[in-house]
Order: sequence, then C-alpha cells, then structure tokens
Amino acid sequence: MLDFVYQSGWGAFGVLLLFQIPFLVVFLTIVFRKAYVNTAPSAISDSSVARWRSSWLALAIALFLIINLASIKFFPAVYSARAAASGVAVTDVTVDAQSWYYDMSAQEFEAGKPVRFNAQSLDTVHGFAVYHPDGHILFTMMLIPGVGRSSLIYTFDEPGTYKVRCLEYCGMSHHEMSDEIIVTASAS
Amino acid sequence: MSMASTMVASVPVFGRMFKLEGEPELHDINAWPAAMIMASFIWFSVAVLLGISMPLTQMLGLDASLFYTAVTAHGAAMAFPYVFQLMMGVGLHRAAGCLGKPLTGWLPAAAFWCMNIGGILFTIAILMGLKISYAVMYPLPIVGVETGQWSMTSVVIGFTGIAGILLTVILLYPVLTIKLMFFGKEREELVLSRRTLGDPGMLGMAMAAFVLLIMGMPLLIVASAVLLALYHIIPFAWVGWATDPLVFQFVFYIFAHNLMEAMAIMVISAVYATLPLYLADGTRKLYSTKAANLALWILLLTSVTSFFHHFYTMFPALPSALSYHGNIMSWGTAIGAAITIFTVAMTIIKHGLRPEAGIMAVLMGFTLYILDGASAIVTSNVAFSFQLHGTMWQAGHTMAVLIAMSMMWMGVLLHHYPVLTGRVLDPMRGKWFVILFTVGAIGVSYAFLAAGAAGMPRRFASWNQEGWMIYGYLILFFGLCLALSMVIFLIDVSKARRIGEGVVASPPKAAPAE
Repeated sequence: MLDFVYQSGWGAFGVLLLFQIPFLVVFLTIVFRKAYVNTAPSAISDSSVARWRSSWLALAIALFLIINLASIKFFPAVYSARAAASGVAVTDVTVDAQSWYYDMSAQEFEAGKPVRFNAQSLDTVHGFAVYHPDGHILFTMMLIPGVGRSSLIYTFDEPGTYKVRCLEYCGMSHHEMSDEIIVTASAS
Repeated sequence: MSMASTMVASVPVFGRMFKLEGEPELHDINAWPAAMIMASFIWFSVAVLLGISMPLTQMLGLDASLFYTAVTAHGAAMAFPYVFQLMMGVGLHRAAGCLGKPLTGWLPAAAFWCMNIGGILFTIAILMGLKISYAVMYPLPIVGVETGQWSMTSVVIGFTGIAGILLTVILLYPVLTIKLMFFGKEREELVLSRRTLGDPGMLGMAMAAFVLLIMGMPLLIVASAVLLALYHIIPFAWVGWATDPLVFQFVFYIFAHNLMEAMAIMVISAVYATLPLYLADGTRKLYSTKAANLALWILLLTSVTSFFHHFYTMFPALPSALSYHGNIMSWGTAIGAAITIFTVAMTIIKHGLRPEAGIMAVLMGFTLYILDGASAIVTSNVAFSFQLHGTMWQAGHTMAVLIAMSMMWMGVLLHHYPVLTGRVLDPMRGKWFVILFTVGAIGVSYAFLAAGAAGMPRRFASWNQEGWMIYGYLILFFGLCLALSMVIFLIDVSKARRIGEGVVASPPKAAPAE
C-alpha cells in the first residue's frame, strides 16, 4: 500500500485528492450557501469558533505529519543508505549526460541486486529519469554541470526494459534524449 | 492629461477598455495602473494563443521548434508581463488609494517601460531562435550557441530583455511600493479608504515588496554581471563566479521561488482587503485580523527558505539536511494556508456574502490557489519529488498558481474598475466570466497534474508516447474554456458604460475602491 502511495506517481495524485476534495466540498458549500441560500449572519459563539479552529488546525497538522513521516523510508537518501549498509554487493554504474544522449558504463542488470547510479552532466542541466516498463517513474535525478555526481542506489524488482528520459529542458532535441536499461531475471 | 493616460487612450482596442473617464483628480493614482493593466491584458491575449498552440502543435505533428518557441514565449509572457504586471497595476492602485499618495514621476514610468520593453526584447530573441524556457536553465543559453541551436545575438537581446523585466520586478516595483508606504505626503483627495500596516490588506503588500527586493538582489547582481560581460563592458574572466551553473541555479530559484511566494502573500493580502467589502451584513470586518496577520507571517517565514525543494533530486550534491529543511518549510507554508482558509470561511459563515462578480472571482481564484497549494506541498515531499520532479505535475503547479493569482487580481480589478476608469461592468457577463474561468482553470490544472502522475515530462515536444496525448486533449479543451472566459471578460470591459448611463452599477457606486 505505502509502496503504491510513495512510488507510483498516482499515489501522489491520491494524496492530493485527499487534501483537495474535502476542501472543495466544504469551502464551495460555504460560499454557495452564504451567497445564494441564506445570506443572513450566523450566530456562532466564540467558543464554538475556537473549538472548530483548534480541530481544523489539529487535523491539518496531523495529516501533514502522518504523510511526511510515512514517506521517510522512501527517501532515496534513506533507501540508498540502507542498501549500502546491507552488505549486499552494489553494482556501480557511471552515467555521463550530454546533449542529447547518455553514456552509461553498464545498461544490463539483474533483478534484486542493488545498482548505484553515479550521474553527472557534461554540458548543460539534464535529467536522468528511469521509467518502469508500465510507464511510471521510479526515480529522477537532476544533473547540474560542475557539481559532481548525483548518486542513488536502486534495486530493480522485475525483469524488463526500463526507459530512461531527460526531464530537464536541455534544448531543441530534449525530447529525443532517451535510452534503455535492461533488467534480467535473477540468476539465483 | 498625463503621458500614461494619453498612451492608454491612444492604444487601439485595449485602450478603450481601460481609458480614464472617471474623476480627473484621481488621475494621479489611476493613470499608470490603467496603463499597466491594459498592457498586461495585451500580453495575456498573446500568451493564451501561445498556450493553445502547444497542444495543437503536438496534435498536428508540427515541428518541435514551434513547440519550444511556444513554451518559452508562453511561460515568459504569463509569468512576468501578464501576471506580475497585472498585480503591479492593481496592487499599486490599491496602495495609492489606501495611502492617498500619487503614482506619478519617473518611477512608475520606469517600472512600466522596463517591464514591457524587456518583454518585447525577450520575445524578439525567442523569434530569432532563442528557446531556453522561461525558467532559465543556465548554462543552456551558452551551450545552445556552442551547439548551433541559436545565435549569440539572440542571447544578448534575450538577456537584455530579461534584465529589463528583472529590474522592474526586483528593484523598481518594490522601491515604488516602499516609497508609497513610508515616504511622501498624503493628499486627502486621493484617499479612497485609509489603511495602515497593521491591516492585513496592507501588511502583505509591504512583505511582498521587501521579499522581492531582498531575495531578488543576488539574481540581479549575477544577471547584471553576465549582461556586462555579454556587452564586452567587462571581460568574461571577471564574471566566472556569476556564470557557475550552480551559483546561477541557486540565485535563480532563491528569486523565482520567493517571487511566487511574494505574489501569493500579496494577493492573499488583497483577498483579506476585498472580502469584507462584500459581506451581506455590511460589517466590513474579517472574522479575525490577528489570525489573518498570523497566517501572512507564517507564510513569509516558512516560504523564504523552502526553495531547496527545487534541488532534492540533486542528492548528494544537495545535502540531505537541506532537503529535509526544504520539505519541512514547504509543508509549514500549508499551516499558514490552513489558517487563511479558516479565516476566509469563518468570515463568510458569520457575515454572509453578496455574490457579485468581483468577489466571486476572488473566491474562485482563492479556491484554485488552495488546490494548487496542495499540489505544491505534495511535490515538496522528498519521496514524491523523486517521481514528480520535471514532469507535467510541476508545469501544472506553476501554471495553476499563475492562473489562480491572475483570477484573484482580476476579481480585485472588477472591484476597482469603476473608480479606475469611471465606467461600470455588466453583472451577467461577469458571472459567465467567473464560471468559465473556474471550470477552465480547475480542469486544466487537473489535466496537468494527472499527466505528471502518469510520468509525462514537462517542456517536452513529444506527447505521442505512453498514451500521454489524452492529457493533451484535456489541456486543449479546458484551455479553450479559459480563452472563452477571457473573451467574455474583454468584451465586458470594452462595453463598459460610463457611470450614470443607465446600467445597474456593480459594485453599487464608483467610490470608494476599498
């Protein structure tokens, strides 16, 4: 469940709707009713208002905390550190991005084995986004030239052909800057 | 007549919409705002056509360069000569009317000309081939020259245009606002509704001016250094510090992020000022001035350093601690937004609402602004950012915040229009403008966000992959709703009747504006 929420793209859309739909329903109802149905002042005691305000803020803060705390294990810095500390051998790959292609030291990996992507740009700002075969983004990296390599460790779970795309606008052939990664079934 | 009012009167079509026919003694606060507002709608008309052309180039399979031309020109026109200039015009009119000080002299003129000449120069550069997107991804402009994508001349012209725009946004507008607030003598006949800095309707204006001035100054210094080198006034070797890509990206986003936050603080301030004027019981008070001011302070303090969320995916070049800081501060802005929502909703519940076009536009713009705020905080979470950064989600966020602010400012403009021009608008056309704008804005926002969730890249001239074109059709449909709403708005202002010419005024009388 949490994997879907934090790693599918559509999970983010679901969290978005969790915030937006209650706001839309409640706020637009208030505006519509007080503008068109009953515009008379409402007699609400100050103590009621104070209770509502406290409950509203408590709900907002609780939601914010839950969503952010639950996301921590999905931070790339966290899962990269966990993979590095696990004792499993990590395959190091260097990625050099340049207008409009990638030069990768390896492009074929085994499912279930962690891969450390060390990526840099050699000219302008580029992206290195890896897409799951079903089309959602697994992770993306922003590569600014001259700042060293961005790095994260990712473990592919499923065999297949994974698309790589640049997500930072980099000129007239930006949309053609792509490549592929092949993930094979685990040998063990 | 002043130079500004003469210029407005002489511009075909758009001049008729904003020419001054009201009380002559108010021309000192009306003329330059009218010129800025008129110019902003000229830019917006162009930006809408460019916006619609983007999905069309994809559907018709046209050359990618057309798409990137439209992306760059549309983004630049929307963010600066349209939304910022509209905000500048309406905001300065509000400030001058609240403080009773004239908007005359070289400063408003310089702000107007630098913005519009800057915008024209940047557009010329884009037509010459410079396609760098409105968010300058330095060193792309130079790499583009080296790889033969565009000429050095287009870069020099483009950077000159950008410098003009930045001069207005970072220096001239804030200085003008600060001058109005803290210097000069009040003229009694110019006071439309006196307000002090303790009033949330003015506090946000002051905050926005200082944020732009302080947070924009590093970019202005870097951009000035680069421009001097481009004109060979100083050698390039002297500006190595300014042309470092990392330095440029950081100063750009410290400015760009805080520009959006400053504009948001300012427009929320305008909402706080306008809402009480449309309460059904005539109380003209917010539910809580203290809560409103507290929300503005929280928004200010949390937003200033939340810009790190633009760089999460650079890990470890951006240390984790700064990522977490950006994450926490970004979600902190939502606490300010939660207090704002409560204040606005409780004010309406307690006092009722007069449903006129101006305040309904303000409230629908506010609704979109809050919806967009939710999309902003979601993508500001570090984990989500690694799936959403660089996708249409972020393009949708940028677009929605600009549209939301534009709608709120247009609502405030509908309120100010009678005192600004001496003419009144048609309530029915106003109602249809609000309905269509709301449907178009919310629809196009969801289309972008869904496209981002599906992994569709932003600024990407190849929508015929992975089934993404469906989002293109939705963007086009709702974009056309937005365009139609603007046509109705522009017809409304062009057919506005002079006060007293037998139409029911909305709002009921021309003055006061506040």
